[in-house]
Amino acid sequence: MAKVLEGPGMGLMKKWGITVPNYVVVTSVEQFNELATVNDWIQKGKLVAKAHEALGSRFKLGLVKVDLDRKGAEAAVKEMLGKQVGSITVTQVIVSEMIPHKEEHYASVKSTRTGCEIFLANCGGIEVESNWGRVKKLTVEIGDKPAAADLDKLAKDAGFAGPVAKKIAEFANKLFAAFDNEDAQYLEVNPVVVRASDGELIALDAVTLLDGDAKFRHPDWNFQFAAEFGRAYTKDEVEVMAVDSKIKGSVKFIQIPGGNIAMLPAGGGASVYYSDAVVARGGKLANYAEYSGDPPDWAVEVLTEKVASLPDIKHIIVGGAIANFTDVKKTFGGIIAGFRKAKSEGRLRGVKIWVRRGGPNEKEGLELMRKLKDEGFDITVFDRSTPLTDIVDMALQNK
Amino acid sequence: MSILANKDTRVVIQGGAAGVNAARRMAEFCYLNKKSLYVEAFVYPPDAGKTNEVPYGSGLLTIPVYKTVAEATKNHPGINTSLVYIGADRACAGTLEALNDPHIKLVSMITEGVPEKDAKLLAKQATKLGKVFNGPSSIGIISAGSCRLGVIGGAFDNLVACKLYREGSFGVITKSGGLSNEIIWICSQFADGITTAIGIGGDAYPGTDYVSYLEMFENDPKTKAVVIVGEMGGDLEERAAEWYGAKKRRIKLLAVVSGFCQESLPKGMKFGHAGAKEGMKGEGSARSKSDALKKAGAIVPPTFGALGPAIKETYDEFVKSGQIVPVADVPASEVPKLPKTVEQAMRDNEVTVVPLIRTTISDDRGDEPCYDGYPASELINKGYEIPHIIGLLWDKRLISKQEAEIVKRILMLSADHGPCVSGAYATILAACAGIGLSQAVAAGMIMIGPRFGGAVTDAGRWFKYAVDNKMTVDEFLAYMKKNVGPVPGIGHRVKSLRNPDKRVKELVGYVKSLNIKTPYLDFALQVEQVTAAKKDNLILNVDGTMAAVLVDIGFPVDSLNGFFILARTIGLIGHWVDQKRQDSRLIRLFDYLVNYAAPKRREVPPLK
Repeated sequence: MAKVLEGPGMGLMKKWGITVPNYVVVTSVEQFNELATVNDWIQKGKLVAKAHEALGSRFKLGLVKVDLDRKGAEAAVKEMLGKQVGSITVTQVIVSEMIPHKEEHYASVKSTRTGCEIFLANCGGIEVESNWGRVKKLTVEIGDKPAAADLDKLAKDAGFAGPVAKKIAEFANKLFAAFDNEDAQYLEVNPVVVRASDGELIALDAVTLLDGDAKFRHPDWNFQFAAEFGRAYTKDEVEVMAVDSKIKGSVKFIQIPGGNIAMLPAGGGASVYYSDAVVARGGKLANYAEYSGDPPDWAVEVLTEKVASLPDIKHIIVGGAIANFTDVKKTFGGIIAGFRKAKSEGRLRGVKIWVRRGGPNEKEGLELMRKLKDEGFDITVFDRSTPLTDIVDMALQNK
Repeated sequence: MSILANKDTRVVIQGGAAGVNAARRMAEFCYLNKKSLYVEAFVYPPDAGKTNEVPYGSGLLTIPVYKTVAEATKNHPGINTSLVYIGADRACAGTLEALNDPHIKLVSMITEGVPEKDAKLLAKQATKLGKVFNGPSSIGIISAGSCRLGVIGGAFDNLVACKLYREGSFGVITKSGGLSNEIIWICSQFADGITTAIGIGGDAYPGTDYVSYLEMFENDPKTKAVVIVGEMGGDLEERAAEWYGAKKRRIKLLAVVSGFCQESLPKGMKFGHAGAKEGMKGEGSARSKSDALKKAGAIVPPTFGALGPAIKETYDEFVKSGQIVPVADVPASEVPKLPKTVEQAMRDNEVTVVPLIRTTISDDRGDEPCYDGYPASELINKGYEIPHIIGLLWDKRLISKQEAEIVKRILMLSADHGPCVSGAYATILAACAGIGLSQAVAAGMIMIGPRFGGAVTDAGRWFKYAVDNKMTVDEFLAYMKKNVGPVPGIGHRVKSLRNPDKRVKELVGYVKSLNIKTPYLDFALQVEQVTAAKKDNLILNVDGTMAAVLVDIGFPVDSLNGFFILARTIGLIGHWVDQKRQDSRLIRLFDYLVNYAAPKRREVPPLK
């Protein structure tokens, strides 16, 4: 799942015939002023300015300002740029035209197992959240398109009547086209407004989630996907992602501040069971990590270095199920090299390392791990005969 | 019995190297079960018409590669299953090709990173045709004792450890490939093992979900219980729970679900497979799944670690009620052993091998080459140079600094001698004909022989013979005249006493200045005095000088031509590069440079 910020999201909707307000995304006040000189709507109309970052609750944070004139927008851009919210620095501001309107509506398309569902409601904004019952849906099977009659019925069921009913059905059809053609997983327009001047439906705000796996067939996806966490990635996370993008197999790393149990398990399935076991035993995770698909040893070494340099950790859980084809000896070679490096840099003092693993070349791999004891590591090594997550129990019993 | 994969399964593998690797793993499984390999064809357009080699026991099987699935099933009408190992951008088209082939009933997709839309379309097409589409991101499907699709089950030792050579009573369905093996192992240790284990893939919308497979297991009398390994996200586990709770089922259901850690993580943070994403209002959370399964009557151990004992308890109940009759394990001696590679058998001291070749100069098995035992980098860092490497590789000794200097000067003096000499001319001729570097240099190299550059060894041999046998110059010349012919190393085409070869003068002057003993050079110079007195151009030439000096500093006679060959290679490469740089044209000999001494044109007589 890949989140897309408002600017590029609106760009995709516009591509599929949905009317969006005029907008510009700026990274400096100078750029805004430059754009203002050539765009009539900035000079004459009312404006909205929003921080263009993957942040929730922007309104509460004062990162959305409405009903501005050109000067006001300039001041808002100046104020927002560079503002620090948690680990995110505001580097972009989106300034869009304010659309005078009376009615607000809701439209979205959501991926399901067999296709998608189109949702409409004749209320919008925050009103829709407290009136979920008024949202009506139409199910569309994969490979099919919604029939005009079904869309009309959906609009009617959602309480639309008169000329706006026809328009919202057309709007839903365009939103579906955008969803289907852009490999979207979720598109939401809230609110859809009826422009006071001409009765046209305008998408005022967009949530766009795309299928990152489909990037290969969308050469025009020239935007960056936003972090899904509501926070920016850390330097170490970005470094592991860079390694991940270069290799066969994968390595993953996410930091969790405040934890003291470091995770270095194998496999996307087992790694979550290990995390569950830590939480179930009352431990606090310092990170999530995973290596899988027989990655090269150097990639595992980079991951190990990052895990070993997490602050204030007491245990490292080097867990893993019985691998199908990930070479235990080779990947452990990477982990051992990473541990040695960390130790030579003065880290891992007082840290207990727990190992459990099986798979190709398991005997040799586990033996190499055991030998780390002779180098002064506090390490305990188990093979396949010890159940998967028992090492977590052992680690946390003597915490 | 088993489901999906069985003794009648015949397979085409779509894809390249990863597919071949899977076939090798499948052949190991067949070998363990003493069955012939059921992979009959590959489909991989770049290699169409070729064959792939798959080791089976100590032999090799040859499996044909086709351009299309249709070609494969036409030539192998028994094929009923396809495994897709094609890259994510082409996987959808390839899978459709297989699904639409009337022979194929099951397609399992291993490819990861397939767009959700593609997976949904494929699932719809499979349903429409009444076929099974498993995956994407599936580790494979394995039925103990009969059929393995993909690498599921891991290495050969693991197949044996998990008793996959005979059927058990437990079915396994898992999203996680890595955990499939773990569960198979647990089933073999805490119970009698598996019937079939299926990896459905960790994507959000797997082509076939738990319910379809549960239905199949329910209809497989050999399967008594099914273990589901679930993950947070989606509603597959809830649907499985719904199926199980809907009516009385023959099979027992055991399930574990991961993702409880999510509850104590910062908001928005999620882990694991692509499908692991929580819906709004907690649906799809590990807790809601686990609760739904419990409510439906499934056995849901609190942790993954408690799964083994739960499986044992279930197994014991079946044994007690007589529904499962425990089978005696096959003695280890009767389980086939995968033949070892020669390397492995040698490591284990089980075989000796008579080496094919023997080397006494060089070893490449470490992290860098060793020349006569000395690591290359250490030689560099301790100040040794090219002549020392020549000493080590040609004569297995570390030569002195002074000797190295002589060798260096010999190489410098002989590196090139202009474009007209046989070697350089041949290389230039080849370069102008568009011939590549190595062949063009080889053409020049071929010229090195008795009349050009190749007299060094022979010169050294005869000077050494004379000195070692304490011959006088007269005795030597008489011996040579009688037994050998002209003295190698004496005489030059253009140089003479009056027009001396500066290279010879230089080399002799330098060696003489060193005040070392040079009996061979001294003898050669004495020979020159006599021969040059007879005829002006019978001087000691550069080959003869090099030869005498090199014998003086101890190089073996057989290596001597090597000094000229090595030195002149520098020049030959230079000539090739020079012609290439100029983009020289093809050389054709002008006919006025040929004396056409052949008979005049005449009539051909009738053939008799």
